Amino acid sequence: MNIKILDSWLRDYVKTKATPQKIGELLSLSSVSVERLEKYEADFIYDIEITTNRPDLMGVVGLARETATVLKQNGIDASFVAPKLTKPQTPKTNLIEITNDPKLVNRLCAVVMDVKIGESSKEIKERLEASGTRSLNNLIDITNYVMKTIGHPTHVFDFDRLNTKTLIIREAKKGEVIKTLDEKDYSLNGGEIVAVNDQNEIVDLLGIMGLQNSVVTAKTKRILYFINNNQPAKIRKASMTLGIRTEAAVINEKNLDAELAYDALLYGIEMFAKIAGGKIVSDIIDLYPNKVTKHYVEVSLEKINQVIGVSIDPEKALQSLSNLGFKAQIVGGKIKAEVPSFRIGDVEIEEDIIEEIARIYGYHNLPSVLPPQTAIAAHKFADQFYFEQRVKSAMKYWGFTEVYSYSMVSQELFEGPLEEAVEISNPLSEDMIYMRKTLVPSLLKVVSENKNKEVIKIFEIANVYNKRTKDLPQELMTFAGVIKKNKVTFFETKGLLEQLCYDLGIKNLSFKQSEKSGNGASVYIEKEYLGEIEILDANLIDFELNFELLLRHATLKKEYKPLNKFPPIIEDLSIAVNSDIKTEDIIANIYSQSNLVIDVSLKDTYKDSRTFHINYQDPEKNLTNEEVSEIRKKITSSLKEKFKASVR
Amino acid sequence: MEDELIDIKNTAISFILEAEDLESLEETKLQFLGRSGKLTLAIKGITKVAPEKRKEFGLLANEVKQTIEDALDTQKSKLKSQKVANVVERIDITNPGIKPNLGHLHLVTQAIEEISNIFARIGFERVRYPEIEWDWYAFEALNFPADHPARDDWETFFIKGEPDPKRGPMLLTPHTSSGQIREMERLGKPPIRMLNIAKCYRRQSDVSHAPMFHQFEGLVIDKDISITHLKGVLDYFAKSFFGSNRQSRIRPYHFQFTEPSFEVDVTCGICLGKGCKLCKEGWLEMGGAGMVHPNVLKAGGIDPQKYTGFAFGWGVERVLMMREGLKIDDLRILYSNNLDFLAQF
Repeated sequence: MNIKILDSWLRDYVKTKATPQKIGELLSLSSVSVERLEKYEADFIYDIEITTNRPDLMGVVGLARETATVLKQNGIDASFVAPKLTKPQTPKTNLIEITNDPKLVNRLCAVVMDVKIGESSKEIKERLEASGTRSLNNLIDITNYVMKTIGHPTHVFDFDRLNTKTLIIREAKKGEVIKTLDEKDYSLNGGEIVAVNDQNEIVDLLGIMGLQNSVVTAKTKRILYFINNNQPAKIRKASMTLGIRTEAAVINEKNLDAELAYDALLYGIEMFAKIAGGKIVSDIIDLYPNKVTKHYVEVSLEKINQVIGVSIDPEKALQSLSNLGFKAQIVGGKIKAEVPSFRIGDVEIEEDIIEEIARIYGYHNLPSVLPPQTAIAAHKFADQFYFEQRVKSAMKYWGFTEVYSYSMVSQELFEGPLEEAVEISNPLSEDMIYMRKTLVPSLLKVVSENKNKEVIKIFEIANVYNKRTKDLPQELMTFAGVIKKNKVTFFETKGLLEQLCYDLGIKNLSFKQSEKSGNGASVYIEKEYLGEIEILDANLIDFELNFELLLRHATLKKEYKPLNKFPPIIEDLSIAVNSDIKTEDIIANIYSQSNLVIDVSLKDTYKDSRTFHINYQDPEKNLTNEEVSEIRKKITSSLKEKFKASVR
Repeated sequence: MEDELIDIKNTAISFILEAEDLESLEETKLQFLGRSGKLTLAIKGITKVAPEKRKEFGLLANEVKQTIEDALDTQKSKLKSQKVANVVERIDITNPGIKPNLGHLHLVTQAIEEISNIFARIGFERVRYPEIEWDWYAFEALNFPADHPARDDWETFFIKGEPDPKRGPMLLTPHTSSGQIREMERLGKPPIRMLNIAKCYRRQSDVSHAPMFHQFEGLVIDKDISITHLKGVLDYFAKSFFGSNRQSRIRPYHFQFTEPSFEVDVTCGICLGKGCKLCKEGWLEMGGAGMVHPNVLKAGGIDPQKYTGFAFGWGVERVLMMREGLKIDDLRILYSNNLDFLAQF
């Protein structure tokens, strides 16, 4: 997420003469991305993206530490000035007893203070407003100001409105209701972290937002200043299910340093005293069941150099780590580093330490080197991607436009029984709930959405998804197309597929009467079912093919036959024959009469008459008219006998 | 006899080439191929050839005949086109041409083709892995903790059904990184140089996010692979794809499956790095990259003590937008299939 902070605020904790531009540039290169640097009156605002592993940089102090480190690395004078926080004198009285649940809250710090509500100072207002937080009153402003300085969210209750001697931290039960401080009502789902008073009323939705019944008002005189370091997953779940995405929630759902909770307490007490006349009236409560334990990481100098790719000066590496808050030393060719509490959970293994060293060294200072080619597997030129591209190009040059439609479809667009559907359990909308089993409905939707076009030729190659038991669905690459055109013919679609298969070196393509209902044909390669051509109406035809089957048969292999030295004799043969007789069968019959018939094709049809173009050729010698007429006789008598054809 | 055939061929060819109009060409044809033409007569002389040589003679005679016929045809069309050339001034050449069919490839296909070619030149083998994946490949093996936000219902699409006891629930893969483990399994051991390009899905739909999109994932694993090698590949790609006037850089970032992790930037195509309204201080983010996390290598059966590697996963649509400077208001137009839109590419 992004945070915005004023340059002057940052400079409270880092002393340097570096310009804001230089700071922004170096932070981006070695730490966090300064996405924008904006002028703000006499000041500048850094707009910074903080990655989820670095919640310690959600506060100005953490950023100042990084800033000082990267400036020093680049030879610019800078020093990090940590805030000096000391535990104040407190009375020994306990005004409230808090019962924590260590499974929910790692650390809980609280104190009761007398305060005077009022406005914040101009500086605090300006810093908050520039960071995108509205200034309300000094009490609320302090909670935000401390959060943005230290990096840990804080909360303030009106102590009198809490009206209780005890607070119990527990999980909410399903159906419990709350009203947040912005006056919105929520029914809880159960599992949210809440605090309840001794009348069993929920008075806080921990880590996310304060509640209307305990929030400070213009009349507030006494506060309970309250800092809770929580189990992040609980906060994430509650914040997402309730849809309350406050800045506090977004920070609290990350792995926050529990040590910072105490810093936030001390800094807050100081701020209340400074700008709200704050006086401590109770002892400090610090329940800390889940203490941060020390963590050490070791990494060899050899490994550091290997991963970074250049030789790193060990002393400089130690210096970088120390500037970042690590306690590091070299022991027997290894760097041993104690991880600071605010980096625990983020820095755990060798590679994490290498990252710290490398980024401070500066990735921009590393050379660019192509990796050596140590071995390379043999590559098959005409692989699936090659043929996919070849088909797509062919379609393009035959006038088709390629579309990409969503793999997820509505119930309406899903073809087949719903029990067979691969279904999304958390769809964004009902429009995208099933993984499609066919492509054509999506293409027809494209056609209907482009109503103004009289001629449409589109295609898509994409997966369809077939459910399987106890396994991932089958993802089957499928090729489909639609032609919309006045009086589109079956034969131009058939011809398209024939030509395509020819180009892919596929033989034995055949078309059979469709077994599916409707008009069209089923397409086969040998005996394997390839797909379907479907005539939808006089102006609309689609096809859908198993693209993987096409790929299995596709080949670039060509066969060479010596060119014929003897000229062919070509003639046309017209016959009248019953329309039930299939052209395919007639052609097969003609071929079967002699192996000197080398090519037969249908040339023309007119009413019940069909004209065939026949090519006779002998590879060994010149054919004589006598030989050809012999074969012709055989053909005509066979056609008469088999198909009751009469020769014209 | 054979010499005679060759002579006839040569004489015929020279006559044909000298013919200046169609009439004299026709005359030449008769002279050689007519009923009592020179070639016809010569062929009749086959009876004088020794029987064992007749086949050879026959083949040669056919060849000669074919050559003469071809020469006649060629000369004929040449003479004809000369005739046409004389009437060319009668055509209004500003009338529209008759165009062959031309459609359009989707711009994502065009980008994928180009990206594949760029990486093929430095030895990356293209693969494609499942879109519907087990949690194991998409998250668990990639070092995502159980409570990571990407694994919850708000960011990733899940598929209805019983989870596998070992591999977890089924989901629509949110990134091509799920191919990393599959590639390690396929090859068994390094060297690995993968380019995985596939559809990905995330539970997000707004002007800059479509719920379905495409990523290309690079994975290199070998001995002594370092950050400098990642930079080398990145520079090569950025210059090849965006142009030699564009610069690239890596800077710190965070991903679960890489350590260290980087965000990769390329200089803005509009201001070329000076900084403008359309970029972030001169840079545009291209996507993530990093050194493969040792836990990921282990999950793929590779010893992280012996091998290191790097990986990157970038959006196809994103690099396309960054290059073309396409000011598309709503990214989802790529998948809405308005044909007027698609016809622009």
